Amino acid sequence: MSQREGSLDPQADDSVSLLPHLEAKIRQTHSLARLLTKYAEQLLQEYVQHQGDPFGLPGFSPPRLPVAGLSAPAPGHAGLPLPERLRLDAAALAALPPLLDVVRGHQAELNPRVPRLLRRLEDAARQARALGAAVETVLAALGAAARGPWHEPSAATAAAAAAASAAGVFPAKVLGLRVCGLYSEWVSRTEGDLSQLVPEGPA
Amino acid sequence: MPAGRPGPAAQSARRPPPPLLPLLLLCVLGAPRAGSGAHTAVISPQDPTLLIGSSLQATCSVHGDPPGTTAEGLYWTLNGRRLPPELSRVLNASTLALALANLNGSRQQSGDNLVCHAHDGSILAGSCLYVGLPPEKPFNISCWSKNMKDLTCRWTPGAHGETFLHTNYSLKYKLRWYGQDNTCEEYHTVGPHSCHIPKDLALFTPYEIWVEATNRLGSARSDVLTLDILDVVTTDPPPDVHVSRVGGLEDQLSVRWVSPPALKDFLFQAKYQIRYRVEDSVDWKVVDDVSNQTSCRLAGLKPGTVYFVQVRCNPFGIYGSKKAGIWSEWSHPTAASTPRSERPGPGGGACEPRGGEPSSGPVRRELKQFLGWLKKHAYCSNLSFRLYDQWRAWMQKSHKTRNQDEGILPSGRRGAARGKGGPGGGSVCGGRKPCPAPSTSESLPWNPFLLLLIGIDLALTVCLACNVAGGRSSSGTTCPS
Repeated sequence: MSQREGSLDPQADDSVSLLPHLEAKIRQTHSLARLLTKYAEQLLQEYVQHQGDPFGLPGFSPPRLPVAGLSAPAPGHAGLPLPERLRLDAAALAALPPLLDVVRGHQAELNPRVPRLLRRLEDAARQARALGAAVETVLAALGAAARGPWHEPSAATAAAAAAASAAGVFPAKVLGLRVCGLYSEWVSRTEGDLSQLVPEGPA
Repeated sequence: MPAGRPGPAAQSARRPPPPLLPLLLLCVLGAPRAGSGAHTAVISPQDPTLLIGSSLQATCSVHGDPPGTTAEGLYWTLNGRRLPPELSRVLNASTLALALANLNGSRQQSGDNLVCHAHDGSILAGSCLYVGLPPEKPFNISCWSKNMKDLTCRWTPGAHGETFLHTNYSLKYKLRWYGQDNTCEEYHTVGPHSCHIPKDLALFTPYEIWVEATNRLGSARSDVLTLDILDVVTTDPPPDVHVSRVGGLEDQLSVRWVSPPALKDFLFQAKYQIRYRVEDSVDWKVVDDVSNQTSCRLAGLKPGTVYFVQVRCNPFGIYGSKKAGIWSEWSHPTAASTPRSERPGPGGGACEPRGGEPSSGPVRRELKQFLGWLKKHAYCSNLSFRLYDQWRAWMQKSHKTRNQDEGILPSGRRGAARGKGGPGGGSVCGGRKPCPAPSTSESLPWNPFLLLLIGIDLALTVCLACNVAGGRSSSGTTCPS
């Protein structure tokens, strides 16, 4: 398949033998994103349940403070070209795992007797990594490689953890809520962006 | 991309910012930010730990831009519920104080959420309260070793249990006269307060074992348990438990099993226990002191009934240890049914006496019909139930003699017999008291077909005697002329 920067139209590819594999990969990645969207919602619900009220109460709205290395999808995200959207999706998914690990570390101290929450956080980090890698594969196959290489922000993330812990338990709870919320937003966004690539018709 | 300006904590990050790589640290709540126009606050104390019933004095100090942001309009919530205004007071222009008395235990282990809000409800700062009790001394430590390869211990977490705080339990152990303290690492193996030591255990020397409980308010240590591994050995349940009928005996089942193979080289004696119950009952009957045998016969059971049977083992006296070991778990239930009784009456093996006339069951009706036929067709009259009852008495005597021969114990001597038993061998080792021989006024379980055959035989004998003797039989029955 010819590498065309920015080209994301599988139908324009002359290499017929690679097209079914690419379509299959896109479908598979989209299915994964859809599944993780559901898991991310469950993680968020479980998280707020174990932090106590007012977390989880309707109308609870802590300040949406910035998180190291990651922000929410911008309002104009949907208006960007699809390759750019997918690159942002991949980058966000790569930034999430160390943040989820930080949250898991906090929760291991705050809620040591809730192994299910700890397991969900651990799974979420692994799943975000997997989905990010899958999106990057799709981008590469379509000739619209993600900008990178990405390095997991381990040093700064550790510093973020230290800062959050030093600031107190309540800020650590808020950080966890923010990270779980960002995870949910980004997998949902990725699922939406990939849906535009999925060929019509049965798999 | 992160928005806003980083707080002081964030400024400790040193890496130059490529896109989406960590630039800034989280601007945590409580860190003042300049120039943003937003208010932040600091709650003091931050994350205090308190005893149940104690009081708390807290403050929320607002930092804002422009300066002089007032504390008026601020309010507190605790676990999402707004606190009454009378608990708060304005200390100064930027500080709101709170006084809480007689605190209850924390609602969740992650801490109660005390939050300071601006007048519009937005969150300015938060602090988590930990209200609880120090741990009490753990007690009731019990340990056992599975086949002398490991040690598992269990304990009870103090008299009141609930401390409302996360309490960490640590099982410690050491050799009694030397060695360093060791800490168990595999927790919650057989329940929430348990730990498993998988290896590197010494035999023939005592260990000291204790539990330390620690939480934010203090610590407590259990009494020390001293034990030798050899004295707390248990094993897997006896394998291959088989339950079978004993020929046609309707009130007995034979139980056989194999001694646990894991201890066969450790010079131990084993004692066993059997328990059994009727299928639809929850009441187990236990047979003790089965001693060192691997079979047993249960007697006095109900005919035609499904029984569940389990066996467990106690490997005492390992390597000459004088103490009893620990009973194993019960084996998986094995089911078998006793043969159905071919005699009338409820359950066949029931021992309840019956008063009054013999019951007029279907066999008795058949016999009456038979006798009626005899009267009509065999030229014998007055062949009465007296002869029939005499025959019954003979049957009872025959039944009692058979029970004694087979070693089924009379009442009061349960569990002590060693006899050949009936078919299949093995010792009888318990069960219900066997049925006493019923009186003639009671119904007698019998085989109806055998009864008919015997009845026919007797009737023919009487008739023959009548015919031979010219009208009077030896039993006194009057024959028609």
